[in-house]
Amino acid sequence: MKKCGCSLGKALLKLCLKLFGICFAALAVLFTIFFFDLDGKLLYYVVEPFLKKHYDDMERKDTLKDLYDVDKYPKREF
Amino acid sequence: MFDKKKVKKALRDFWYGKPHGERRLGDILEDKTGLYKHREWRGVKDTSYYFWNIWCYNYFQMVMDIMKNGGPIVFAKGLWRYRWVGQTYLPVLHWFDRGLQGLRGEAMKASAWHYRGMVATTIRQFQRMFVCDAKINGGKVNDEHEKTIAINETVWGGIFYPWDGKLVSVPMEMIPYFVTCHVNSHTVLNYIDAVQSIGLPGDPCPMCQAESGLFVLDDMPDYAKAMVTCNEACDASVATSILQDWFFDKPLFALPMPMQFDDPLVKENCMKEIEQCWRFIEQQYGVPFSWDKLKEKLEKQNELQRFEWEKWDVASHTKNYPINGVAQALYRIYQTQYGDWEIWHEVDKKVRKIMEKCVSKNIDTFPKTRHRVIAWSCAPLYYSNWCTWAYNCWGLNVVINMDSLMFDMTIRTDTYDHALEDMAQYHMWAPMRRMAVGGMNHIFELWENMEKFNCDMVAMYDQLQCKGMQGVHGLFEDEFRRRNIHAFWLPHALPDSRTVSRAEIRNAINDYMTTVMHEEPLDPSLLDFDDSMTW
Repeated sequence: MKKCGCSLGKALLKLCLKLFGICFAALAVLFTIFFFDLDGKLLYYVVEPFLKKHYDDMERKDTLKDLYDVDKYPKREF
Repeated sequence: MFDKKKVKKALRDFWYGKPHGERRLGDILEDKTGLYKHREWRGVKDTSYYFWNIWCYNYFQMVMDIMKNGGPIVFAKGLWRYRWVGQTYLPVLHWFDRGLQGLRGEAMKASAWHYRGMVATTIRQFQRMFVCDAKINGGKVNDEHEKTIAINETVWGGIFYPWDGKLVSVPMEMIPYFVTCHVNSHTVLNYIDAVQSIGLPGDPCPMCQAESGLFVLDDMPDYAKAMVTCNEACDASVATSILQDWFFDKPLFALPMPMQFDDPLVKENCMKEIEQCWRFIEQQYGVPFSWDKLKEKLEKQNELQRFEWEKWDVASHTKNYPINGVAQALYRIYQTQYGDWEIWHEVDKKVRKIMEKCVSKNIDTFPKTRHRVIAWSCAPLYYSNWCTWAYNCWGLNVVINMDSLMFDMTIRTDTYDHALEDMAQYHMWAPMRRMAVGGMNHIFELWENMEKFNCDMVAMYDQLQCKGMQGVHGLFEDEFRRRNIHAFWLPHALPDSRTVSRAEIRNAINDYMTTVMHEEPLDPSLLDFDDSMTW
């Protein structure tokens, strides 16, 4: 029984260390992104130009062809 | 070889961050783009706070806000369809950085909470637009669409309190236009150019141009059953409403802000117009007016106003006010214009705690203040964070600004008549009407507010395309001389960063501080740098 508890404890400790390691690594990666403004650089140099090209190429309705029909809706009395 | 003093200093700088004056914040910026070679090191404690409680927390909360308000698919559809969301709102954390640069401790924390409130409200609005939008939903008009009212961004959200929980009002331009200019100033240029391409001359107010341009480029979601427009206080904007009426093509009610709002007869007329607007909503949406809802929401809004007064009290009488110029200006105008919502109460609760700590411990929140500045008239939207730069570079602490002071009132809720009368007053004190083009008495409220907030300098905004404010330029010059007030002019063209660049704005202030004030900069690296291509 003792041996079993000990190995369970060890496994738990290992798991905790592993989790701690993963969290620490994730935090280190996030901090690197944060500190060197990698999010800003990705958005500025990659995402924004890509989206801009997409919006520039988008087919748009010619709104000037819409009729400006001022009498379309009934006159209201309040 | 081993310089003990240098090591000690390096360790101290690492732990506490460099003291103001040694920071050289201009050196961490990339040339032209304004991106950071690396973000600012504020010492272990404040950098950790900024990283975890501001940067990580806000990215996480943005995802949560999207999940709560329609979900990621709706967001993705909107992002793919509309330039103003895709191009603007992804780099939102950079907007935080620009506004919060150089801040430490409680000032950094309280100011960041203000930004959080604005981001949550922004996401709430554009997600509602996308949920309802017939354009991205295959032309289908859904239930939400039929329960949404499109309003002009300067129509106070409080007008629609009687339908709280049943109908939702979403301003047409606040998110596609106004907020974009602060976050990414590139986006709006497309809309200004679009409206000029159909023949509008370039000299009217670029705000009206950009707002119309959204419709010209068919970049406005079809998200509402009916619309309530106004003259946006500035009468140039009447033309915007005409273009909106044409292109949005919905039943429309016009709720103007009168010019002569001191006249009691005008006020009476305004009260009638608000009631007509309420009847329009009832007719269009078939939902009855609720006095109980109106009263409940007005009382909640009054709570926000009372806290704002407490903040002003601390700002005017102590050195403990923990909110910087840009956070104060943007949060306040956003909150008062949008109207009551739970996020404002959450933010105010957090800020109250921080402010009380500052007062009880007598924390000097902006210790390098050389001048207490009041900013007057309308600010450059593409450089609203100029005051962060001005504090870091020159020790100019912008304590308060005109837009914060516009809606300086609570609303009575004891009777329907009192509520209506006060609501009319609030509505008439609209942005750009209360002071900026509100007549001589009101534009000169500057002097009493300068005294009230204990300011010794004025930052006078000079919106080059605002015909109203250009008309009183000389009068201000005369008054500044007569009253012996230090004031610098800050030229700009509201959203259009091409007319007056950020560098030109900084130069105008640099010139004043060197040639008139004969002062030395706190951070010389911020005097001259190129951020011409920044967001």
